[in-house]
Amino acid sequence: MKYVKVLLWMAVLLGLLVPDLSVAQTAKFRIGCALPLTGVFGKEGNLVKDAYTFWAEAVNARGGITVAGKKYAAEMVFFDDKSDKAESAKLVERMATLEKLDLILGGFGTDSVFAASAISEKYKYPMISGGASSNKLFERGFKYYFSTLGKATEEVRGCVEITNSLNPKPKTAAIIGSDILFTALAAEGYRTYLKKLNIEEVYFELFPLSLEDYNSLLFKIKQKNPDVLLVGSHLKVALSVMKALKEVDFMPKMVAFSYGPTVPDFIKSLGKDAEYVVAAAEWAPNLPYKDSVFGTARELNDNYFKKFGRYPDYVEVASIGGALVQQWSIEKLGIAPPLKEAGRVKLMEELHQGDWMTVYGRIQFGADGANVDHPPVAVQVQDGKLVTVFPKEVVEKPVLYPAKAWRERK
Amino acid sequence: MALFLQALITGLLMGGVYASYSSGFSLIFGVMNIVNIFHGELIMVGAFTTYWLFSLYNVDPFLTLPASIVSAGLLGYLVQRALINRVVEAPPMISYLCTFGVHLILANLALLLWSADFRTVTTSYSGAGFAVGPLTIPIARLVTFVIALATTFGLYLFLEKARYGKAIRAASQDKEIARLLGIDIKKVYALTFALGAAITGLAGGLLSTYYVIYPQMGLPYTIIAFCVVVLGGMGYIPGALIGGLLLGVIQSLTATYLNSGLSVAITFILLFIFLVLNPQGIVGKGIVE
Repeated sequence: MKYVKVLLWMAVLLGLLVPDLSVAQTAKFRIGCALPLTGVFGKEGNLVKDAYTFWAEAVNARGGITVAGKKYAAEMVFFDDKSDKAESAKLVERMATLEKLDLILGGFGTDSVFAASAISEKYKYPMISGGASSNKLFERGFKYYFSTLGKATEEVRGCVEITNSLNPKPKTAAIIGSDILFTALAAEGYRTYLKKLNIEEVYFELFPLSLEDYNSLLFKIKQKNPDVLLVGSHLKVALSVMKALKEVDFMPKMVAFSYGPTVPDFIKSLGKDAEYVVAAAEWAPNLPYKDSVFGTARELNDNYFKKFGRYPDYVEVASIGGALVQQWSIEKLGIAPPLKEAGRVKLMEELHQGDWMTVYGRIQFGADGANVDHPPVAVQVQDGKLVTVFPKEVVEKPVLYPAKAWRERK
Repeated sequence: MALFLQALITGLLMGGVYASYSSGFSLIFGVMNIVNIFHGELIMVGAFTTYWLFSLYNVDPFLTLPASIVSAGLLGYLVQRALINRVVEAPPMISYLCTFGVHLILANLALLLWSADFRTVTTSYSGAGFAVGPLTIPIARLVTFVIALATTFGLYLFLEKARYGKAIRAASQDKEIARLLGIDIKKVYALTFALGAAITGLAGGLLSTYYVIYPQMGLPYTIIAFCVVVLGGMGYIPGALIGGLLLGVIQSLTATYLNSGLSVAITFILLFIFLVLNPQGIVGKGIVE
């Protein structure tokens, strides 16, 4: 009887231990991200969501994030900020305080990330973003904010410097852009590089993001007849400008966008009307980048297509790069979940010190959190596909110039 | 001079677009005294009807217009019968809340069904236009302009001359007397709503050929329609055309000679001025309570 009682007590104790054991076995990294899944940046936000999902699935397929020999699954927790920066900030506060997530990754769009990163800085959560690149993000003295994209003004360099290879070289350019942080800075970037190349700026205007009808603006630019039209844009603006250019029957010799045409929907929506369009990018599948998780850039491109039925935009690969260096830093530091403040501080320090080669390219964060050495790329729509046309070391096909007038196209 | 004329034509054509999607808003307000906050979603439904028929079955966008009219009209009719008829005689705030709720439901339902993607209807003739001297006139906009004129004129004639139109006017002027005369007010309201929604769906189908469409496109259109109708006179059907053309021309001239930012701001400056100083609209025939 005595032995029976002892056995019963042991069974009860074991029973109490079982839940603890199961917690240890199912411990995971819960990684939050506030994204614009709806609203004006809904498309772009969903792209970044796909990118983080792709990264998490790739990591989990290998057993998870390895910390001190143990594997911990990566679980992405997405929140919709509705393309609203105040909502984005609120959601990050929720992730840090109420949800107590282990890590937070950056969302999409400078305005939202600008607000969200102020909160992550307050709670000492490192935030790596692959979808925001305004220079102002890096001028706040923050220690916990990082970006894998180059700065907005630098990102558009390729779209202007490509004119060096054109014959005859364009002499005049007009710059327009929506008046929000990223696109306004992209417009400033265009302006800076035009000056360096002695191309005359014949028109400059920033317009509100809420502008629906672009015909009046583009008729005005048509009167100036610039050789090149440079646009600070996101997808919707890029689509709207292209539709309006055709309506006003104006096609400059070259039209370039800071963002939009690399999103697969651009070519899908416009079809042949997308031909000749040049776009800034930070990654292309023909670049010689690779890493141990995703293989070469081309392999990542193909695997992405298998998973989503479309190729990745450069912002998605930049997001994957960010998630990857965060993963490698955690593995190097050996910090297991749940992550506390001390762990997050160490992670921030490691991110500032690291230097990685990823499928997205080299990632090395400067003191301000910007990726210090990531050269811009320019792509052009040719025969319904994006081809790399800048820099010359990685050119797939020569840039088609001048663009055919609308009436000359079949 | 060429720039001025181009700005004027662009403004008139833009005004035609505004008028095309605002006359339904004005009709519904004029008859039922309801500020329909899900008006933009009716445009969205019309636009997406055109988009899906074009992209899935390759139907020419202009041939899809009857389907856009039917889909938006049917939606308007059902919402009116099921919901708005129940609150139409309640204080205005109740109907605002009701239509705002429908706006949220429709926008989010569209988001669930079709995702947040931006879509365009791009045909081989998209963006096509013709030149008159130095001026360029986009055909799709011209068609919208003509349809806006025809719709406004047709609607005006219908309300003035047709028996059912007279019943609608009677219901809007004094519903108690109309009831005594044997008019089924709720049926009149539902059919009015369907008519307003159908016109709006038609405009949605048309504008999908030159604007980017997406599930949450509705609210900005509702706001513009409200501004147009205030400028032209709330509830006064020709006012939607007058207000639309006025707003289009002012916006175009502002964008051409000043900047595009001001062209957006001026819409709300005009709204403010008219609401405070001249709430009956530019020709003084709007309804003011």
